Amino acid sequence: MQIERDTRGSELGPNQYEDAEGYIAPLPAGFGPRSNPLGDFPTGPEVGQRLPDVITLGSDGNNVDLHADRNGQPAILVFTRSAVW
Amino acid sequence: MPAFEAAGAKLYVLSYDEIDALADFKSAHGTTFTMLSDPDSEIIRAFGILNTTIAEDDHPWYGIPYPGVYVMDGEGIITEKFFENNFTVRPGPEQLLAALKGEQINLLEKGEGDQEVKVEVTFEGDTLPAGITRQLVARFSVPEGMHLYGQPVPEGLVAASIQLEQELEGIVSYTPVAPETSALTLAGDGHTLQVYEGDVVLRLPVAQNGRAIEKDDEGRWVRIAGKVQWQACDAEKCDIPQEQSFSFRLPAAFTVMADMGPGEGRVPSMNGAQHFKKMTERRQTSS
Repeated sequence: MQIERDTRGSELGPNQYEDAEGYIAPLPAGFGPRSNPLGDFPTGPEVGQRLPDVITLGSDGNNVDLHADRNGQPAILVFTRSAVW
Repeated sequence: MPAFEAAGAKLYVLSYDEIDALADFKSAHGTTFTMLSDPDSEIIRAFGILNTTIAEDDHPWYGIPYPGVYVMDGEGIITEKFFENNFTVRPGPEQLLAALKGEQINLLEKGEGDQEVKVEVTFEGDTLPAGITRQLVARFSVPEGMHLYGQPVPEGLVAASIQLEQELEGIVSYTPVAPETSALTLAGDGHTLQVYEGDVVLRLPVAQNGRAIEKDDEGRWVRIAGKVQWQACDAEKCDIPQEQSFSFRLPAAFTVMADMGPGEGRVPSMNGAQHFKKMTERRQTSS
C-alpha cells in the first residue's frame, strides 16, 4: 500500500503552520516529524485477533515478554513516536 | 495509573527510543507503566505500522510508527484499537478505561412499560486538553421490540449518531465508536436494514486544537455543543426522527508536551536534547 503524506495546511506566520485540523506547530504539515498519512493507512492487527508477540527490552534493561508479563490480565499497548521528542 | 490498576489492567508503551532514554523519561516523570524499547523498529515493522511517509534517510524521524493504541482482554485478544491520521491526537485515559471495561457500560435504567426512546448525553472527563481525545457518550434506552438504525441507512431514515455543531471553532471529532449492527429484513417491503440490538451506547471522541479557548477570570474554557439524532422503528413502522441538543463548557487543560524545550505548560525535566543528539548520530552512522 502506497501511503500518501498529508501536506494540507497553511502558513500563519514565522514558525507557525496550521494543519488541516487547525493544530499549529513550527513545521509545515508533511515535513519531517509532522508526517501524517492522508486517507487510509495500516493500523496493524485487527480487533478479534490475538495481539502478536512483543518481546523486547524494557527501560530497566530486562527482557519483557508482553503476554507472559501481563500474566492473564487485560492490557493496553501504546505505540508512541518517541519519549525524547 | 491507579485507575488502570483498579481495572486490573497492565499498561505498556513502546517507542523506537534506546533504553537509557526511556529510563531517563521514567525517572523524570515517575511513570509506573512498562516502557518498551524497539530501537531498530523491528516490532513496529512486524505490526505493519511503520510510518512509511517518512523517507529512510530522513534522520532521525525515520523508524517511528503510526501512533496508536491496542486494547486486549485477558486472553490477549484485541478488543479495540485507536488510530487517527493526525499524530497530534491520542486517546485520553477515560476512553481507554471505557474500552477495557467494555463499551456498553452504565446503561440507562428502563422504566416499566417505556414506549419512547430515552437518551442521555454525557462528556466523559473533567477537562479537554489540546490533542487528547475525550468522548461524548450518548446512551440510548430502547423499548422492547424497537430498534435504532446504524449506518448505512436508506434515504429517508435517520441513523443514530452524535453530531457537533457545524460552526464549532477549534473542536475536532474523530473515529466514532459504536456497537456492531445486525441485519434486519422488514416484513412489509423486504428491505434489509442495519440495526442495533437493544440499548445502544455511541461514543464520539473529540479534541480541541488549541484555538477554541476562551479565557476569563476563572480560567480557560472550551465549549462543545451539538445534537444526537435517532429514529426508532419496530417491525411494522417507524417513528418520526428525533433529536436532542447538548452543550458542555469544560476547562481547557494543558498538554504535557515533549521535553526538548520550554513552552507554555511544558514540563522540561529530562535531558531530551542529549538523547536526541545521540539518536541522530546513531541513525546517521547505521544507514
